[in-house]
Amino acid sequence: MPHRSRTGPRTTSARSAAAHRQAALLRLSTAIAAAQDEEAIYRSVVNGLHDEALGYNFLGVFLLDSETGDRVLQASVGWPDVPTEWRVHRGEGLSEQAVQDGKLHYTPDVTRESKYLPSLASGSELDVPLRVNGRTIGVLVVESAEPNAFGDEDFEILQAATNQAGIAIARARLLEAERRRADEHKALLDTMADLSSELELSRVLQAVIERAVTLLGVTGGEVAIYEEETRELVVVASERIGKDSTGTRLKMGEGAMGTVARTLEPLIIPSYHEWLGQSAKYADVLVHSVMAAPLLIGRRLVGAIATVHSDPARVFNQEDLRLLNLFAPQAAVAIENARLYTAAQRQRQYFRELVRNSPVAIVTLNQVYRVVECNPAFESLFGYPQAEAVGRNLDELIATDATREEAEQYTREALDRPVHGIGRRKRKDGTMVDVEILGVPVIVDDERVGLMGLYHDISELLQARRDAEAANSAKSQFLASMSHELRTPLNAIIGYSEMLQEEVEELRQPQLQDDLTKINTAGRHLLELINDILDLSKIEAGKMQLHLETFPIEPMLEDVITTVRPLVMKNANHLEVRRADRLGTLRADLTKVRQMLLNLLSNACKFTDHGTITLSADRDDQHVVFTVRDSGIGMTAEQMERLFEAFAQADAATTSKYGGTGLGLVITKRFAHLMGGDVQVMSTPGKGSTFTIELPARGPDGDREPATD
Amino acid sequence: MARILLVEDNEMNRDMLSRRLQRKGYEITMAVDGREGVDKARTGGFDLILMDMSLPEIDGWEATRQLRAVPETEHTPIIALTAHAMAGDREKALEAGCDDYDTKPIELPRLLEKIETLLRRDA
Repeated sequence: MPHRSRTGPRTTSARSAAAHRQAALLRLSTAIAAAQDEEAIYRSVVNGLHDEALGYNFLGVFLLDSETGDRVLQASVGWPDVPTEWRVHRGEGLSEQAVQDGKLHYTPDVTRESKYLPSLASGSELDVPLRVNGRTIGVLVVESAEPNAFGDEDFEILQAATNQAGIAIARARLLEAERRRADEHKALLDTMADLSSELELSRVLQAVIERAVTLLGVTGGEVAIYEEETRELVVVASERIGKDSTGTRLKMGEGAMGTVARTLEPLIIPSYHEWLGQSAKYADVLVHSVMAAPLLIGRRLVGAIATVHSDPARVFNQEDLRLLNLFAPQAAVAIENARLYTAAQRQRQYFRELVRNSPVAIVTLNQVYRVVECNPAFESLFGYPQAEAVGRNLDELIATDATREEAEQYTREALDRPVHGIGRRKRKDGTMVDVEILGVPVIVDDERVGLMGLYHDISELLQARRDAEAANSAKSQFLASMSHELRTPLNAIIGYSEMLQEEVEELRQPQLQDDLTKINTAGRHLLELINDILDLSKIEAGKMQLHLETFPIEPMLEDVITTVRPLVMKNANHLEVRRADRLGTLRADLTKVRQMLLNLLSNACKFTDHGTITLSADRDDQHVVFTVRDSGIGMTAEQMERLFEAFAQADAATTSKYGGTGLGLVITKRFAHLMGGDVQVMSTPGKGSTFTIELPARGPDGDREPATD
Repeated sequence: MARILLVEDNEMNRDMLSRRLQRKGYEITMAVDGREGVDKARTGGFDLILMDMSLPEIDGWEATRQLRAVPETEHTPIIALTAHAMAGDREKALEAGCDDYDTKPIELPRLLEKIETLLRRDA
């Protein structure tokens, strides 16, 4: 080691020098082994060799750039003018050879070598390849100011040092890869934890994009969510892409995110400005390359994410894609969760508002009937502020001794199923209030957690109904007694006029006959009117009683036909009867059915002249149908509409021309309803009318027992 | 000549009906309430009784039941006269023992037919 002998003290014994070298090599070994990363290894190699005992003064470690073939300086000693990360280009310099063949190369005199890149004016250089797992990754360059400075011992020492460094680098790279994977996992875990702990959508989206930027080491990016209604993407978070893109809408297939949303596959765009698919909305953005991915839950699109590099030196590679593919599903789930949560929040808010603003008093109880919450309407209806009501047993609060049992019954039942009723409850001030009560169980996730009570103040309603009922009852009472009072003198008028008619016939005084007939007819009309009014008032008062019996239809029809025959003759009409073979029996009020048929038939006779009136009767298992058809004057649609309204005979002129009270049809229809049936009408002006009575053959609902009379 | 007892509280109705029936050739005896009606019927040996249902003292239904319970009038035809077709009046009348019924205001031909039918049945 010529240069060492030159630099080391000459008096030092060879033995002592050897011991110092051993110690220095041990320190070098220890330092390399202790180095935590590649950089530390390079440093410890050059620093350890630059030891007084070893005497290497000018040295550096280069790493091979696998893409360019350049050697890049990692650490050096004694080259003060050389920049850090100095690049020696492929094909240049003496150390090229060692990198090429993986062998140690010694140049005893650098001045003789054209390839030498001078750092020293003269001297010798030793190039030792740095190999990791059989592959040359760099070179250790050692120089001396003097020619022929190195010998076998140097070769040995330096070769051993690079070997050890190679092993250490291999291990460090492995560790680095491990650490990187660990970091990735941690980053992903952090992302997941962060994202899943955050439920406010805007914050989740911001976190998603920040994480993506950190994880991928990109310049910036943006996140969009998919709007199902419009089938568009809406950018909701944007980070350093050169503008705030929040709010931008993209159609399916538009731009990078629109493209991945349509294909449902990730996409790398190495050179964005050359890409044909770019959206005009991003024309003002200076990005170099883009990587985008759909955000999917299963195959369902929830959004898209795009990350960008604005540095032309950075390009997205498969590793970035792998990371994005790891990240995207987490982001998708986080966004979806936040979206669902937000929707649930909104729903909750909506219902809260509904309950708060409801005019109906609403109170919720727990399983032991204690008040959990109540709304302002409850507070004002019962006079208990929520603070005072909470925790109290509801029935103790608003039921009296008299209503306690009934109230508790409602409460108990409402825990299982909805109950509905009307009752009286007590206010805080002791006054009573009539309420409509609805109790419903509150079930959350199939679990019964309590019940909800709704109280609707119906005091006014009930009072109004009582008033109306009283008024109506008084009216009906009045009408009934009036009708009775009117009938007695009327009977006398009709009776005596009839008697007089009989007498003038016997006494042969025909000149009186006409006037007496007029008195009699007017009297009968008045009686008819009174009877109809009485019927109607009874129906309206709910006091019309049905006398149900099961009777054969045939004789009833015969009776009706006999009764109506004189009326048919009067306007020279012809009566046609069509009846089914076996009409059987009908369960109904015989008197009323007869009255209904007579009403319809007498109407038909009245409004038909020289025509045909057809009475049909038919039945099936369930129904009996009577039809009265005439070929009379008929009605317009407008007239038909008002037909079944009380006192609405087509017009006043009709009444005076055709007579009648105009109440017959109303009563007929009401009778039909009472018996569980209906009356329908069809008519054409000038052509005639058809009225149909349909009645349930076995009586109205709720009356299905066989006839006893 | 058939003898008919007319039980009717209303004076005008009684007057009218009795005069019209007399003109048709019947011999009419009148009673003004249920009790008088029952008394007269048991002793009078009438061929037929026209019985108003809403009568003072005892009503037409009760009077009919009483008449049916005694041998003298057990089989005497009774026609109930009811007010305007009140639901159930007819059934109540038949149940009490009346043979037929007619509604007021009286349609004389209709009533005469019923009277004649019952008189023929008993003849």
